[in-house]
Amino acid sequence: MDRRNFFKQAAALGVSISGCALFSGLGRSSPDSDGLLRPPGALDENEFQATCIRCMRCVDACPNHALIPVSLNHSSGTGGTPNMKPRSSACMLCMSEEGDYLKCTEACPSGALQLVKKETEEIKEKVHIGIADIDFDLCYSYNNWSCGACFRACPLAGEALTLGNWERPIVNPEACVGCGCCERSCIRYPHAIRVKKEPQA
Amino acid sequence: MWIQIIRRCVQASVFLLVIALAFLSLYAHYKAARVIDDEQLMAGLRGEATAKWIHPFISQLDDPQSFLDGNKGTVWSMKLFGVSLTDPLAAVETLSASKFVHWPLLISTLIPVVLTVLLGKVFCSWICPGYVLFELGGKLRKLLRFAEIQPAEIHFSKANKYIFLVVGLLIAAIMAAPFFALIYPPAVISRILHAWIFGIELTGMLLLLGVILAFEVFVSPRWWCQTMCPGGALYGVLGQARPLKVKLQKKACTGCLDCIPVCEAGINPITQSTSIECDNCGVCIQHCEPAALKFALEVPLISAKKEKETRSVSKKVKAAGLIFLLSLGATSNLFAHHVLGLPHYSYKENYPQRPTLEYPATTGPYDVLLTSYPGIPNPNEPANLAFYIKNRKTKEVFKEAVSIRVLQTSTFGENTTILPSTSALPFDNQHKLQCTFPVDGEYIVELTLVVEGREEVIPFLMIAGQPTATMSIILTTLLGIVILYVVVRAIQKKKARRQQQSLQLEVLN
Repeated sequence: MDRRNFFKQAAALGVSISGCALFSGLGRSSPDSDGLLRPPGALDENEFQATCIRCMRCVDACPNHALIPVSLNHSSGTGGTPNMKPRSSACMLCMSEEGDYLKCTEACPSGALQLVKKETEEIKEKVHIGIADIDFDLCYSYNNWSCGACFRACPLAGEALTLGNWERPIVNPEACVGCGCCERSCIRYPHAIRVKKEPQA
Repeated sequence: MWIQIIRRCVQASVFLLVIALAFLSLYAHYKAARVIDDEQLMAGLRGEATAKWIHPFISQLDDPQSFLDGNKGTVWSMKLFGVSLTDPLAAVETLSASKFVHWPLLISTLIPVVLTVLLGKVFCSWICPGYVLFELGGKLRKLLRFAEIQPAEIHFSKANKYIFLVVGLLIAAIMAAPFFALIYPPAVISRILHAWIFGIELTGMLLLLGVILAFEVFVSPRWWCQTMCPGGALYGVLGQARPLKVKLQKKACTGCLDCIPVCEAGINPITQSTSIECDNCGVCIQHCEPAALKFALEVPLISAKKEKETRSVSKKVKAAGLIFLLSLGATSNLFAHHVLGLPHYSYKENYPQRPTLEYPATTGPYDVLLTSYPGIPNPNEPANLAFYIKNRKTKEVFKEAVSIRVLQTSTFGENTTILPSTSALPFDNQHKLQCTFPVDGEYIVELTLVVEGREEVIPFLMIAGQPTATMSIILTTLLGIVILYVVVRAIQKKKARRQQQSLQLEVLN
């Protein structure tokens, strides 16, 4: 290969690679990449992003349509990874479904979601989507009304969410798995209870 | 001839399979939500007719749920009759990104890998949806030539794709995030089909395919498959010692060279049919009139000696490969947000959750959250807008009056006012307002509040209904292709003129 041809090839390759990198938006954060809620059994965020192959099989598997892929339109490095927006649809922990495992963890081919058995103890131990957080200025029960909708929606009611006087919800961060049923059920706009990602080491 | 018919059938059935699997997923969602049996609930849902049509077939099965669970996914990674199949590129890439061996993933690549080792790059020519699209690009070039428009013909080195594979894997290893997954055409195409069925717009991905296709049609024929595709590179390496090969019977060959221009891999089938580039598509076999080219089975052990001279890899290449593998293991993950200085997840103290119905902003010490109900307002229906303004530090809610006005954006000229400036006092810690948006489109909701003695104006961009962005993007792409074409044509004209001039000069001299 003569020198001129070599430079031509190198330039073409360089342009194509940088074009692809630019397009895939590698390393760029998407509009909502901070605080993405991952499905049950997900690895730590960094490991999750490295392991997830963006096949969206968990999205297909979710019976409640709670998992939504991060948009591929904004060309961010997280595009195609599963995300949960409990306000639209919360994780039901596959309670009304057949099968021994949570569906999304069963569908994941890459190990980004570790298998979680559909047993209360295992769910409590392995599922850490986030932790519910109450805005006391918005919550009706803390503002001269009485509601308690979130408590009634909570699958671990009495453990993750307890009720005080006037149906005031109290979150127990140790027991909360972050399924988001409380956020889904909140009758307030904007919602007074939200699932936030757990702080990571 | 029949080989090509079978190949086309296989390609078409892969497309159908991807579409069918997506429909099955949609159906599974409806089944899980228990709306499938209810005429009223099903009315107006996406893919209603198809879901209803497949419903009787699936409910007849012994175990409909396990059938639905066992058939899922796209070409990138799918489960077919309970068997997990994954593109080896996905596995290799995720291995280098996470440096973590997940055996089920490797096992799911077993069938594709074995098929490739035995049959060569058949994934490319027989299965890959991207290959179909780019073959179509080749047909378009023929059409252009037929119309006496000569597209440019620049060829790049076929070795580029191996370099791209290596560089991409290194990028994945360093950035700790898959890279090919977002640009690999078969994954992209199956994702677009999937999104289309689920009613999600993926115009950005369409744009990528459009750019590659336009480049192939006007500049470099079969550019992606021949010189860039990392998947093709990986399959090529895996299928290097394939027993199934296109073989030339030297006695029968008349030397007509008809097979060279038709080769999809851009090689010379007479001399290079056993090389790493051949993807066993069989087009040359179809075009070989004396039937000198044929598929032949050849056990590599017996023919190893003969092939050794032609296939031997130089020591330098071997050493380079070894160094690459070692360096892949030695690279440490450089997580993307560290590179860019982005904060860690959950560091942000304000709300991380942003469903479509919320529009956050900040001014001074205040976090402002605009909520609308319904989430994306329907035109001609009253929508409730509520502003929730809260001090970030003191956690106190803003209690003074604010003024709000609503404007409709227009591409040309002034924005029209929908709702003139109105004052709002907080009720239940929120500033509320009702507004009716007249048509589908983009609106600006302007909030004016007094912060620390200064008047602050915050514009919120809101969408009502479904304004169409897809059409504009498709039109822009088409326009881009036309412009590119005109430029190429102009350059060619100029070249031709210059040639003519030099000819004339020669004649004169």
